[in-house]
Amino acid sequence: MPTNREDPRTMNAAEVQQALKQVLMEVQKPARYTGGEFNSVIKDADKMDVRFAFCFPDTYEIGMSFLGEKILYELLNRHENWWCERAFMPWTDMKAQMEAHNVPLYTLESKTPLSQFDIIGFTLEYELCYTNILAMLRLSGIPLRAEDRDESWPLIIAGGPCVCNAEPMADFFDVMQLGEGEQMLQDICAAVEEGKKQGLNKQQLLEKLAGIPGVYIPSFYDVTYLPDGRIDSVRPNNPHAPEKITKAIVKDLDTFVPPENFIVPMIGAVQDRACVEVLRGCVRGCRFCQAGQIYRPFRERSPKLISDSARALCRNTGYDELSLTSLSTSDHSQLEEVLDRLNAWAEADHVSLSLPSLRVDNFSQSLVEKTTKVRKSGLTFAAEAGTQRLRDVINKNVTWEQIERTCTIAFREGYTSVKLYFMMGLPTETLEDIKGIADTAQKVVDLYYSLDHAKGKGVQVTISVACFVPKPDTPFQFCAQDRRETLREKQKYLLSCVHSRKIKVNYHDSATSVLEGVFAKGDRRLGRVIEMAFENGAFFDTWEEYFDYDRWLAAFQACGIDPDFYNYREIALDEVTPWAHLDVGVSQAFLAREYQKALRAETTQPCNRQCSGCGANKLLGGPCFEYSKDLV
Amino acid sequence: MNTVRIWFEKRGEAAYISLLDLQRVMHRALKRSGLPVWYTKGFNPHIYLAFSCPLALGQESLCESCEVKTEEESPNYDAWAEALRPALPEGLRLVSIGPAVMKMGRIQAADYTITLPADAAQALDAYNAQQSVLVEKKTKSGKKQLDLKQYIPSVSYTVKENQASFAIRLPAGDALNLNPALLVGYLQEQYGLPAWQCHILRTRIYAEDGREFR
Ligand code: SF4
Repeated sequence: MPTNREDPRTMNAAEVQQALKQVLMEVQKPARYTGGEFNSVIKDADKMDVRFAFCFPDTYEIGMSFLGEKILYELLNRHENWWCERAFMPWTDMKAQMEAHNVPLYTLESKTPLSQFDIIGFTLEYELCYTNILAMLRLSGIPLRAEDRDESWPLIIAGGPCVCNAEPMADFFDVMQLGEGEQMLQDICAAVEEGKKQGLNKQQLLEKLAGIPGVYIPSFYDVTYLPDGRIDSVRPNNPHAPEKITKAIVKDLDTFVPPENFIVPMIGAVQDRACVEVLRGCVRGCRFCQAGQIYRPFRERSPKLISDSARALCRNTGYDELSLTSLSTSDHSQLEEVLDRLNAWAEADHVSLSLPSLRVDNFSQSLVEKTTKVRKSGLTFAAEAGTQRLRDVINKNVTWEQIERTCTIAFREGYTSVKLYFMMGLPTETLEDIKGIADTAQKVVDLYYSLDHAKGKGVQVTISVACFVPKPDTPFQFCAQDRRETLREKQKYLLSCVHSRKIKVNYHDSATSVLEGVFAKGDRRLGRVIEMAFENGAFFDTWEEYFDYDRWLAAFQACGIDPDFYNYREIALDEVTPWAHLDVGVSQAFLAREYQKALRAETTQPCNRQCSGCGANKLLGGPCFEYSKDLV
Repeated sequence: MNTVRIWFEKRGEAAYISLLDLQRVMHRALKRSGLPVWYTKGFNPHIYLAFSCPLALGQESLCESCEVKTEEESPNYDAWAEALRPALPEGLRLVSIGPAVMKMGRIQAADYTITLPADAAQALDAYNAQQSVLVEKKTKSGKKQLDLKQYIPSVSYTVKENQASFAIRLPAGDALNLNPALLVGYLQEQYGLPAWQCHILRTRIYAEDGREFR
């Protein structure tokens, strides 16, 4: 427990509980703030050696939908003397009430203020939640910057996909975790437990932590810049810090049982169902997709473990809907066996299955049958680009013939609504590619009416278009983002190409994706901008109604930083990127190679067919696949 | 097919579970319990589950109930209780399980215990002295004026340890259902009582013949 500091919000758990009686009367959806859900873990605070507050910088409903938190919550709480609890970003009404009544941010389980924890862990799930992290620290009365916190404050750590370039948040975190947390986070907690017993100061503790695979201590690195603003070098300034931080992974997914005791929210979370992660990584190598690169290499969980865990999970939670999650579930080499095992008990247990990320190219008749036994919902396809040429550029190996074949199967099975996802603003994109989006949708409509069945019912095709944002650790990290004006023109053109009332276009253009692009490829200098925007009132930037672009522009200006430098500038293939010292497995050389192939519209084989030498296999210490076996 | 009534408390922070959420919470608790409850037929089968006279958000209760069905010929209700008790989340405490003796439509009235801060005594005296107390009740077809005194002519309260408390009985049937918050809200508004110090606890439910609902 911290001692040598003045906590501006000293309240203990009992006082928080008392204050909540008053506060909760004044807010919407009070159940977001009460805890007490089934399977939430309550322990005896006095017997704990490590108290960990798992923070999600968005609302309860969104945070409770993320699998990563469920995985780590169960793993940490398996240790008898550690207690992992949860906190979420309070909605604006609750935040105002807490400020008015001086109630610090607290964990749902024990109502303990965050400032009294040993470790506070934030999930960095997307760039626009950065201000919420600062808001949560401020609500806890914790100094924002790592340099302003000594060992009397909790250790503030980060994890999640954005750590692959979390440089814009480097000033605020003591520790960042690059990669998968199953082992790494347990190692960190063990080190903190030991450090407390040894009475280590913060510097000593950080040096100890720096030796854990995947751990990144931002303050142990110095960044120097070239006169034109690009990075000259990133070098460690502490002998305990490695030159490069290598992503931590779980080599064999079967060594960790997936979580089987999800906390069951009382109020509906966004994803309020049982889910089991069937594989990690992705074999496809789509060039725009960050997840597809940073979660490499591809690893599968065995069908028996998937099925057994899924069944236990459904029984322990009472969920009646089960989904198999991963970047590309249908790439599981034994998917049919997985489904057979699940179907062996699902119906009797009153559980329905859904497969969210089916792919067009291996969507078979039997698969459709296996997944639609219980429920028939709309069909979604991520075509991503409107022409074959552009699909080749982005390495999305989907052809019209595959879409046609799958839609034919699906229409015959009784589906009448199809949703097609596309991106706009992709590298090398022309108006012809935009027109291709409308043409693809029209061809799906025509296909439906060419089949001689159920004509009366009609078909609905929805085109959903997202703005492409270049992300680090992808072959398109080198590209500049399309400007908003350009995107708007492309959108107008798309609408002019749609001629059927059976086609609906969902388009979302917003300034948030500009900011997303800036932070995704940003460097440490942006920490000041984030702090200033926050101090000027920015939070919940993911929520359109709270996002104020002008406030951000003002913050950039006040800090003397040009945001365009980050997202509207092409990066040279040999440039030192802000994330160059964070090694997620794929090499810069591979990314450059892929980028050049993209410009020539050349495709790359998926990993399970042929290795293209991205470098991620070094994380496994051997090849990713045994190509001698017939995997495909 | 037997209809089974489940009685439970809804207390503490569970008071913040809305009816919609409560249905989901109970559905999942029943599923976790593994009890042989009856599922509706059709394309999307779910547990048949019906709640009677649901409580307003923020109020507590000792006597909430819901009905399920079962194809068991003669359910062992002790075993049912044993299975369901540990499957309920904090704040929802199982009271009893037994056959549904009466139809839900027979519910007519409910008792409530209201607890207010001690200085509410003046407000209550003033209420007792009023000829009529007009409040607005929201109904499906809009707002309706209603005289509280018609249903609660006076309250006899006791003051103990900084709290004033009293019990009232209000209609809770299909035809007329009065939320005790009408009275408490009126007192808060007229006499500036802080809402968070006002508690409403439902204690009993009655059928139209004045017997306890079972
Ligand atoms: S090393 Fe080869 S097989 Fe493994 S992830 Fe990289 S490209 Fe794919």
